[in-house]
Amino acid sequence: MKLFRGFGAILYKEFIVMLRDPTTLFFMLIPPMIQMVAFGFALDTDVKNMGLIVYDQAHTVESRELVDKFVNTETFKVVGHVESVQEMESEIRKGHAYAALQIPPDFSRNLRVGHPVTVQLAIDGSNSTTALQALNTGLAVTMMESIKQLLAASGMSSIPIEVRPQMLFNPAMKSPNFFIPGVIGLVLQMATLFTTAMSIVRERERGTLEQLLVSPVSRWGLMLGKLIPYFCLGSAMAALLVVIMRFVFQVPIAGSLLGLTVSLLVYVFVLLSIGLLLSTRAENQMQALQMTMTLILPSVFFSGFIFPRETMPWIFYAISTLLPATYGIDLIRSIVLRGAHFSEYWPSLAILCAMAVGLFSLCAARFKRKIG
Amino acid sequence: MAAPMIECVGLTKRFGGFTAVDHVSFSVEPGAIFGFLGPNGSGKSTVIRMLCGILEPSEGSASIDGRSVVEETDELKELIGYMSQKFSLYDELTVDENLRFYGKLYGLRREALRKRFDELLALTHLEPYLNRRAALLSGGWRQRLAMACALMHEPRVLFLDEPTAGIDPVARRELWDLLFEFSGRGMTLFVTTHYMDEAERCSHVGYIYLSKLIVCGVPDELKLMPEVNPLGTRRIDVTCEHVTVGLQALRHKEGISTATVFGQSMHLLVDDAVSDGRIREYLAEAGIRSVDLRPISPSLEDVFVALTAKHSAAGGGERI
Repeated sequence: MKLFRGFGAILYKEFIVMLRDPTTLFFMLIPPMIQMVAFGFALDTDVKNMGLIVYDQAHTVESRELVDKFVNTETFKVVGHVESVQEMESEIRKGHAYAALQIPPDFSRNLRVGHPVTVQLAIDGSNSTTALQALNTGLAVTMMESIKQLLAASGMSSIPIEVRPQMLFNPAMKSPNFFIPGVIGLVLQMATLFTTAMSIVRERERGTLEQLLVSPVSRWGLMLGKLIPYFCLGSAMAALLVVIMRFVFQVPIAGSLLGLTVSLLVYVFVLLSIGLLLSTRAENQMQALQMTMTLILPSVFFSGFIFPRETMPWIFYAISTLLPATYGIDLIRSIVLRGAHFSEYWPSLAILCAMAVGLFSLCAARFKRKIG
Repeated sequence: MAAPMIECVGLTKRFGGFTAVDHVSFSVEPGAIFGFLGPNGSGKSTVIRMLCGILEPSEGSASIDGRSVVEETDELKELIGYMSQKFSLYDELTVDENLRFYGKLYGLRREALRKRFDELLALTHLEPYLNRRAALLSGGWRQRLAMACALMHEPRVLFLDEPTAGIDPVARRELWDLLFEFSGRGMTLFVTTHYMDEAERCSHVGYIYLSKLIVCGVPDELKLMPEVNPLGTRRIDVTCEHVTVGLQALRHKEGISTATVFGQSMHLLVDDAVSDGRIREYLAEAGIRSVDLRPISPSLEDVFVALTAKHSAAGGGERI
């Protein structure tokens, strides 16, 4: 009782302050939803309908068939026909198309007599993601055509080796499915960190902290009383984001909902504790804001949200192991996308729990009941 | 004499190379209204913060009702109430909620809280504003609410840091009436202020100047100090027309050490060698005829002016 002295009073006050402060409520609930939807749609790395310029010098049935094969992959879309190599290059430079296909005049003639033919596929390499996709699709289309020709010539009925790929988890390979659970992790971090990061420093600025320090409130009571209201709000937000993921983006939850709930709650608690810790250190709200930004940025890059952690240089990998977002995002992805069981995801959850206990204790222990 | 309620011995606070409070020692009896005076930045708030246990002294010790402000802070906090300079309240909370919050903070149970709540409402007349947000209260009502909040747990000592700064005269008068009432009930009050008339109302005063406590005691006794009443001088009140003209006429005359205007009159400190007739002559020279002279005793302001001058002359550092 003595350890948490004043907890009830702080809780009472913080709930009222939180619910009466429309800006906090607004910033905690609205931008996260907008960010979630915006991120979800923008982070679609599936490449479809890339602009393709055709320079068909053959003008034959076969050449048109080849162009159709390219278009049928849905990767390409013909955006124009040109009549010279210069025009071809210029169209790509202007950004009108990502790729250009040049079919030589003797294409059909050589094909019919079995002579090798060369078609040229020029690709805009400045965006490596789209370039790679264009290259792979172009190669696949021409390889299939070549194999067909060879099969016909050799009299064999099927090719020697056939791969039957099977996509486990996310069978349609939709990239939103991969990113959206991660987005939940990031968006939660942004919204929750700010709320508690401001909480103590705001009282310091207004002078009410001095009034609290004169009272017999204990540090644990003060910290917990400050954290719980935002924990409730943060949990509500997490639930909202999961609903958006499930019903707006149609990402199915493969694993247990209970596991996901527990993971999200622990994750939110860790984030709020970090916010509180920053708040006890910061001298004014501006400083608290800067500290929060300093923490959020590396989380975007090093948490495995975009780039796989395993391929990072060791220094960034080391940073990533310290970020709660790394474990939060990992848990959400494992449970939502891969349907992981507790026995498979517990290490990340254990680390988050340890962070929660450690950081919150640090808040209470390092908070000085003195000024100056 | 009863054991002191507040006692400081050599209390010192240094911030880096700057000494904000320099070996301050004093004691306050139970039930006293102790007025703590001094210019801005002289260290008043720093002393209060150390006495409230939220600022660690660099040197020296202090205790409240025998409890050290450094070692026994938990017990100390039950004993004291503190009303800071800015009347720090939660603006989002209503008057009612602010009071409840402070009651809960000090662990008041339901029954005790309601009883105390009603008592303070009766005392401060805050009822009509119960459902108003603190942000929307005027200065005087904010101050009353801040005081009621600081009193929820019935402290034995109440610290008020410039409680009357920026509030209207009626509210100021009413606040002092309340303070006298508390004092009458046995509460010890420690009040900082800039106003000399408020200082005159205190049972004890201390004056801090350039981080040092230069005087401390009962106002009437301070007025009898030899530094304030140098041998062979007397204080007189001069009432006449055109006091500002009169002031110019008297200011640099031999034997008149201080001359200050108080509304329609001047207060002079003159050598006994300068007769009343001589003063009338000086004024007549400036064209002022109808003059009324009467002897007066020094005010607290005179006390502080005299002691500050002496302190500065003794090499007490630069004047701000």
